[in-house]
Amino acid sequence: MNDVIIIGGGPAGSAMGSFLSRAGISNIILEGAVHPRPHVGESMVTSSTRIFDELGFLETMEKEGFVRKYGAAWHKPDGREFGIRFEEFPQPGIFQPYTYHVDRGKFDLFLIKHAEKLGSKVYQGVQVKQVLFDENNRACGVRASIGGQEIDLPAKMVVDASGRQTILGRQLGIKRMDPIFNQYAVHAWFEGLNRGIEESWDYIHIYFLPLERGWAWQIPITDEITSVGIVAEREVFRTANKDLEGYFNYYVQSNPALAKAMAPATRINEWKTEGDYSYIMDSFVGDGWLMVGDAARFVDPIFSSGVSIALYSAKFASERIAQGFAQNNLSKEFLKPYEEKLRSGVSVWYEFIRLYYRLLPLFTHFIQSKKYRVEVLRLLQGEVFDRGEVDVLDAMRKYIEVVEKNENHLLRSALADIPIDDVIAQGQA
Amino acid sequence: MTTQSILAEYIEKELAKGRKSHIDYEEDLLSEGIIDSLGILQLVAFIEDKFGIQIEDEDVVLENFQSISALTSYLETRKAN
Repeated sequence: MNDVIIIGGGPAGSAMGSFLSRAGISNIILEGAVHPRPHVGESMVTSSTRIFDELGFLETMEKEGFVRKYGAAWHKPDGREFGIRFEEFPQPGIFQPYTYHVDRGKFDLFLIKHAEKLGSKVYQGVQVKQVLFDENNRACGVRASIGGQEIDLPAKMVVDASGRQTILGRQLGIKRMDPIFNQYAVHAWFEGLNRGIEESWDYIHIYFLPLERGWAWQIPITDEITSVGIVAEREVFRTANKDLEGYFNYYVQSNPALAKAMAPATRINEWKTEGDYSYIMDSFVGDGWLMVGDAARFVDPIFSSGVSIALYSAKFASERIAQGFAQNNLSKEFLKPYEEKLRSGVSVWYEFIRLYYRLLPLFTHFIQSKKYRVEVLRLLQGEVFDRGEVDVLDAMRKYIEVVEKNENHLLRSALADIPIDDVIAQGQA
Repeated sequence: MTTQSILAEYIEKELAKGRKSHIDYEEDLLSEGIIDSLGILQLVAFIEDKFGIQIEDEDVVLENFQSISALTSYLETRKAN
């Protein structure tokens, strides 16, 4: 009998395998694709470095020459720009003032190889069809498809790291789409893009589009290749009507700085789209199972939070699983503290993202404010798992309140129309 | 330099950016389109930095920001407190 079966060999699954092997728990990673395969989510936050270091993977990140990401810059449609550098806010346990942009094909391949080296049994090209449950409704394995054959693999514990496929969430019918954010991304890789001045050429660049909740990313993948994506609400995306190129170019032109960056650029791969953006599962744990990374929750990726959430959720979940094996208890109740920890961390991201969209373009007030700048940096750098320290979210809320309540306030018209009360937590989704 | 001339210089150079080379102290900054909402944020940051006066969020209203002289009298009351 296998101790743990992990569905999916992306960052969450590979980190999970690595942590479990380290804790002496045998595990199998079943990956549906064969690495390297393309994947969106190419930029990271600095908190990821701590996990790479802990897993002995940081050396690989350095050796493989991934582009170093030293900061972030925002571009308004009117041409104004503001930015941050990570070195302004040093983080405990992190000894480099940068994170990375990655080709996810390569990155995910190296990470799954690392998991294998640490002891995970890795099978690629194996599609998990469903999670199996015993008569007590306890997860007891998975049904997988290998070379056209379906086989059942038993396990004491099943980890869903299937990413946006959300295998278990869909099987159990517990996936809830976000009531506010329903965006689509259209993206591709380009060569010859004008990345601007040297100080910020390796930053992530976020371009605001003259659309609510609409933005574009510019992420350097190698010295020559840059990933660019346009994110917009579904109703806007629908206007593309299969003409992805025309749609993409139209919105590139809507921000002068983006238009300038893209002017000399040539597309080098196929257009890709991602849809049905944000969601959350009613539960992240159950008897004999739990979910990590995007399989549990997905939030708007504007702050590059995805890989960090995947890595930290794998860490926290693996710690709980190890305790569970030691105490012979893998019940829902026992696994619950992991869910609470992940929920509270991701909800900080989610709240931050909502307030950010609501405040736009007044968000600059917080980035420029002496009082809050460091707090904003802390969030942008992925320190979200310590809820007690996020005063800035309250400050953002209060600020919105002040501006909103005062009819004569000069900034009132600048607020966007985004609900900021926690509709999901109240179960109104 | 007086408070008024410091403000006028900053607004002319940094916010109006050539759209307007000379701004009267009584001139309406907002309806004339000399500054927009982001300009206001920049102006607030500038004042806090330059004069060491904290501008409360709720004070960012028309009567305080309509003109350079309105802004100056608002800053005088802030200084007095």
